[in-house]
Amino acid sequence: MQLINKFGGVAMFGIISICLFVVVFTASMCWAALLKKSFLKRMEMLPLEDERNPSSRDNL
Amino acid sequence: MNPAASSPALEPARSGDKIVETFYYDNRIVRAFGIATVIWGIIGMSAGLMAAIELFFPAANLNLQYITFGRLRPLHTNAVIFAFVGNGMFMGIYFSLQRLCKARMFSGSLSWFNFWGWNGIIVAAAITLPLGFTSSKEYAELEWPIDIAIAVVWVAFTVNLLGTILKRREKHLYVAIWFYIATALTVALLHIVNSLEVPAGPWKSYSVYAGVQDALVQWWYGHNAVAFFLTTPYLGLMYYFLPKAANRPVFSYRLSIIHFWALIFIYIWAGPHHLLYTALPDWAQSLGMAFSIMLVAPSWGGMLNGLLTLRGAWDKVRQDPVLKFMVGAVTAYGMATLEGPALAIKTVNSLSHYTDWTIAHVHTGALGWNGMLTFSMLYWLFPRLYNTKLWSVKMANYHFWIALLGMMFYVVPMYISGITAGMMWKQFTPDGFLQYPNFLQTVQQIIPFYRLRAIGGSLYIFGTFMLAYNLWRTARAGQFVPEEKALATNFRTQLDEHAERAFSHRWLESKPVLFTALSLVAVLIGGMIEIIPMIVVKENVPTIPSVKPYTALELLGRDIYIREGCVGCHSQMIRPFRSETERYGEYSKAEEFVYDHPFLWGSKRTGPDLHRIGGKYPDAWHYNHLDDPRSTSPGSIMPRYPWLLTQKLETDCLAARIKALRSVGVPYPDGYETNAPAELDKQAAKVVANLKTGSIKAEQDREIIAVIAYLQRLGTDIKLAPAASTAPKVASN
Repeated sequence: MQLINKFGGVAMFGIISICLFVVVFTASMCWAALLKKSFLKRMEMLPLEDERNPSSRDNL
Repeated sequence: MNPAASSPALEPARSGDKIVETFYYDNRIVRAFGIATVIWGIIGMSAGLMAAIELFFPAANLNLQYITFGRLRPLHTNAVIFAFVGNGMFMGIYFSLQRLCKARMFSGSLSWFNFWGWNGIIVAAAITLPLGFTSSKEYAELEWPIDIAIAVVWVAFTVNLLGTILKRREKHLYVAIWFYIATALTVALLHIVNSLEVPAGPWKSYSVYAGVQDALVQWWYGHNAVAFFLTTPYLGLMYYFLPKAANRPVFSYRLSIIHFWALIFIYIWAGPHHLLYTALPDWAQSLGMAFSIMLVAPSWGGMLNGLLTLRGAWDKVRQDPVLKFMVGAVTAYGMATLEGPALAIKTVNSLSHYTDWTIAHVHTGALGWNGMLTFSMLYWLFPRLYNTKLWSVKMANYHFWIALLGMMFYVVPMYISGITAGMMWKQFTPDGFLQYPNFLQTVQQIIPFYRLRAIGGSLYIFGTFMLAYNLWRTARAGQFVPEEKALATNFRTQLDEHAERAFSHRWLESKPVLFTALSLVAVLIGGMIEIIPMIVVKENVPTIPSVKPYTALELLGRDIYIREGCVGCHSQMIRPFRSETERYGEYSKAEEFVYDHPFLWGSKRTGPDLHRIGGKYPDAWHYNHLDDPRSTSPGSIMPRYPWLLTQKLETDCLAARIKALRSVGVPYPDGYETNAPAELDKQAAKVVANLKTGSIKAEQDREIIAVIAYLQRLGTDIKLAPAASTAPKVASN
């Protein structure tokens, strides 16, 4: 409870939020950068795979 | 019943070491949600149009309490958000999830429980809201029995979603599914935390939170209802349907990863931007503002990912109404997500808050992003569900232009109206007086824009009727395909060409349970950091001795104020600006709301703020004003409330309500409920005597007496010396 009470200052919350913002963005960018191209190609095509089904042809 | 429905995996065949399975996708549930979204869309939008008309023609409600603006507005918002968008969301998820997982839905029974349960809830909302059964919390107005039903149905949906993911035949989870998982988890979390309430009767409850705490929890919920009900599921649908309609893969799968994690992590923090310059502590306001500005980055990442998916396909947009609607939707998403952070900047918010600017902002999202994406999915899906071509591509193209025109006629007048009202409220003369001291002057100025808004809404609804007709003709021309045959390799016999490294993202994508847990952690962090200190740190909500609980009569008056939806047009939160303290009186303080279950700060000022209305006018003025607002305020657009003068005040519920409030921390003395009726009569008699001095002969047991008592109490406690009041002392009228 004492620990929480110390978080009363506005500045502290601003600093925490900026730090978290940077950490989450950096982590997700690193995560994304490490993916292999072949894997990305496979994932990108997933929604288009069932286009081979007869009912999925162009219906317009 | 098709045998495939009960036997999802048929005819296993070996191909090398792989086992190829034949199974069937369930299209019935997709069609059911599709039909429901069209029907509820028309109903919800029509309720909105009716509410819009009542704003410039108050008599349009025919003096019927059930369709008065205050009751109609929550019906409109709930119908559009949860019925139109909700059914559209389920339609898209039930279609795409099966195909992305290469599996039939986990449980057909749960699918139909989801459909009938959800639509039953909407019917219950359509009945109870006009009857005045409301918690008054925006987008969470439904009362506790329906809240429980929502939680049960949502859990059924989540089990069905996760069950389908667990029995999938595709090892890795496509980005759309991540958004579906985040939606399922976060909506459950938001709904349960914000709906914690103590029942005080079959259709009445009080929030367990009070004042600033209730405000923070409500807007943590309210903002994230936009984020995780209107945005994340639709982003998932965008990532599935846009590549399919354009017949090309998503622009950048890498960007989608950053988009997802950054968005779900940041969005949950942004709720307090709805409470800037209010009595909410500064630290919470600053957090809300900072994270709202950060939201531009992931939101625009997603928007650009969507638009760039169309690279090389822009020629198709000219002919294809599906792509037209998708481009319109993604562009509206981009505009709304740029505007949102701008509105969260305190300086901008000081002008925009409480005005129609916010209404314009949400309708860019609702009409553009959600509406147009739903239309695009329907135009894409129905021909496929019925194995035919769209009945009229030309009509669908016209629909797009009519919808776009309708949206423009809606949002542009609302921008002008919002900025006009905001600036007029703040305008001072060279001598330092308010330029427009009468609130009605600012109302009269914006009525022409309300008329234009109704034209825009009418156009948009007309377009939706065109959609309904086009889809109906398409269905008639084709043959419904209830079960769609598909082939896929058994999960366990698949060779993984992308052997995963532990803790890499593709490793995570093959571990749905861990993925779900991490998503939950991401959304929990922001909520916990904001809400827990607000509830446990006492200095966030200081108390002052003169602030006392409402008397029995005031409490019932407040409940009628809630029933009538007065909070939809009147705020009870004076911000610390000179323009507001000059107009309304001393600015509102957190300690004045410690017994307000729920808080009634409001988010829109179609009428003036009421926090310091207590004692400003005599009781007779309120009586006449509620009977016919134009008798005291010529040109007012407030509806009449003649039924308050004739309906008897229900007092049998008093004991239950006092007990419920005591259980959430309101310090009513033990046994107060026994003395309350006598005290109520005494205070009512005083109001009646006051009315008599204004030449009004009123009966003591009518609802209007309680409403007047409540209004006269508002904002007065802080003016009393601490020694002058003892709980629960009757306030002077």
